[in-house]
Amino acid sequence: MHPLLKSWKHVLQYLSVWTVLGAMLGFMLAVAGHFNLAETVAITAPITIALAVVCLSAWFVARSSPPGSISAWRVRFRMGIAAMFASAVVLAFAHVLAKALNVVFPGLEARFLPAVPVLGGMCWLLYLLSITLHHLWIAMERSKRAELLSRESELKALKAQVNPHFLFNSLNSISALTSVDPARARDMCIRLSDFLRNSLRLGERVSIPFAEELALLTTYLEVEQVRFGQRLRIAQDFDSGCADCDVPPLLVQPLVENAIKHGIATLVDGGEIALTGRRNGQNLRVVVENPFDPDAPATRRTGFGLVSVRNRLEARYGGAARLQIEVGDKTYRVILSLPCGGKEPEHA
Amino acid sequence: MIRAAIVDDEELARQILREYLNSEEDVQVIGESTNGFDAVKFVSERKPDLIFLDVQMPKLDGFEVLELIGTDIAVVFVTAYDQYAMKAFDAAAVDYLLKPFDAERFRVAMQRVRRRLGEKMQAVSASELKNAAQPPGQYAQRLVVKDGTRVHVIPVDQLDYAEAQDDYIALHTGGKSYLKQQTITSLSESLDPGRFVRVHRSFLVNLERVRNIEPYTKDTRLAILSNGAQVPVSRAGFVRLKELMGER
Repeated sequence: MHPLLKSWKHVLQYLSVWTVLGAMLGFMLAVAGHFNLAETVAITAPITIALAVVCLSAWFVARSSPPGSISAWRVRFRMGIAAMFASAVVLAFAHVLAKALNVVFPGLEARFLPAVPVLGGMCWLLYLLSITLHHLWIAMERSKRAELLSRESELKALKAQVNPHFLFNSLNSISALTSVDPARARDMCIRLSDFLRNSLRLGERVSIPFAEELALLTTYLEVEQVRFGQRLRIAQDFDSGCADCDVPPLLVQPLVENAIKHGIATLVDGGEIALTGRRNGQNLRVVVENPFDPDAPATRRTGFGLVSVRNRLEARYGGAARLQIEVGDKTYRVILSLPCGGKEPEHA
Repeated sequence: MIRAAIVDDEELARQILREYLNSEEDVQVIGESTNGFDAVKFVSERKPDLIFLDVQMPKLDGFEVLELIGTDIAVVFVTAYDQYAMKAFDAAAVDYLLKPFDAERFRVAMQRVRRRLGEKMQAVSASELKNAAQPPGQYAQRLVVKDGTRVHVIPVDQLDYAEAQDDYIALHTGGKSYLKQQTITSLSESLDPGRFVRVHRSFLVNLERVRNIEPYTKDTRLAILSNGAQVPVSRAGFVRLKELMGER
């Protein structure tokens, strides 16, 4: 079935275009056959409806021979033949119609004869136009779908990335612990597995409650805590309203990973990462703040993580979400502001 | 007895090296550092035979440390990152351990260390090595210079010009100058050619510092820098300089 017929709105739009085309056709027929107004309407209206229906069949023609699939000349040849068939059908219909109308308007059938070439030519041209528009429409649909697919696969790739260096360094810590503190080594194995399993599981989903992102973040920080010991200190302050916001998965975790890699890890004595979350009606604001060594090589501070988070926000929310970066003398602050897709807070 | 030092900012990473080293009978761990600055200071004071060096560390990274301590010490890199040009290290670093590693792999590294310490060090300058290890298309962001046990870090945009002096180069920055053991060619190769121009066989200038160029002798000119310093410009140097200035 033609996709246009799936929606009433589209059918009405299509018919309104044909009203205009029908008026033009009626004018040309009236001139060619010297019809009066009543005769013109009586003959043009059914023909126009017939044409409108016939032209929908151009979809099948366009679909069976998309440009590029076979040579351009063969496409044109097929289009011409198909248009000839279409106009033959319409002309046959018009012939029967004229015969029938002859009863109401005497002599109409005879006067219809000079209008036949005009009608045939018009049908042929309109059908060709219809095939061409269908070709365009199919091409547009295809590129739209391709764009959607590529964006989707890109997002999937971005979400799936667990930093391999984080993994290798954690495994190295476990390896060190096995001899000095086997219980802690086992503990870290479990936490690392929890983190990996949850990040894979959450990464598959489109949205997760913010509470789940926070839980993932906690597991991640527990693993990093083993590596960095006293150097890594965390201060968390989240509104209770944040928890049931719906957010894309793994949005905050890469920011905290950056804060450790480009902040804490550059400092001999480490420092404190301050995490704050505020819910303001339908807006969620998350701030990640960390100290860093301003003398560390600049290349260390431009991470792939930020770019990926920004792209994902852009793809998902357009202009409605923002990622701001404020670089102070010794502190680095990332401010994330996005629409909260979850339930209304209970006491709003 | 091999005197070894461990340089890593993570306690557990040092822990495992200590453990493996304890089972080597001919090795004594004489110290540990948690950052690049300390490592350079420690090495120049205590002169270990062997150091285990992490790459990502506070203050100075492992490459910078290697550049400052020279190559008369056996260096084993220990890192979770495998993307650094291992080829370059085959030349001068004794080995490259990828975290996590097992005792067997560690013993292989130690065998290489003993072999290296047995023969004399290859004469590959550490600075050349660092250049070779740099990913293509990336230029140095900063230069490191050792002055006794002190380390100076010079961001490249603060470098006015460099001058070759025998086996050394003098780096001039903000009215001060620092001597470093490196050739001017290797310095020039490590810097962005769009910002630093070799204007003379023995001189390299920061393009942004050049205020004007005056004729000097028949074939040479003088570049006057914004701080008033005068740098000779050879004929070939002038061609290069003009090309770059024209682009701006």
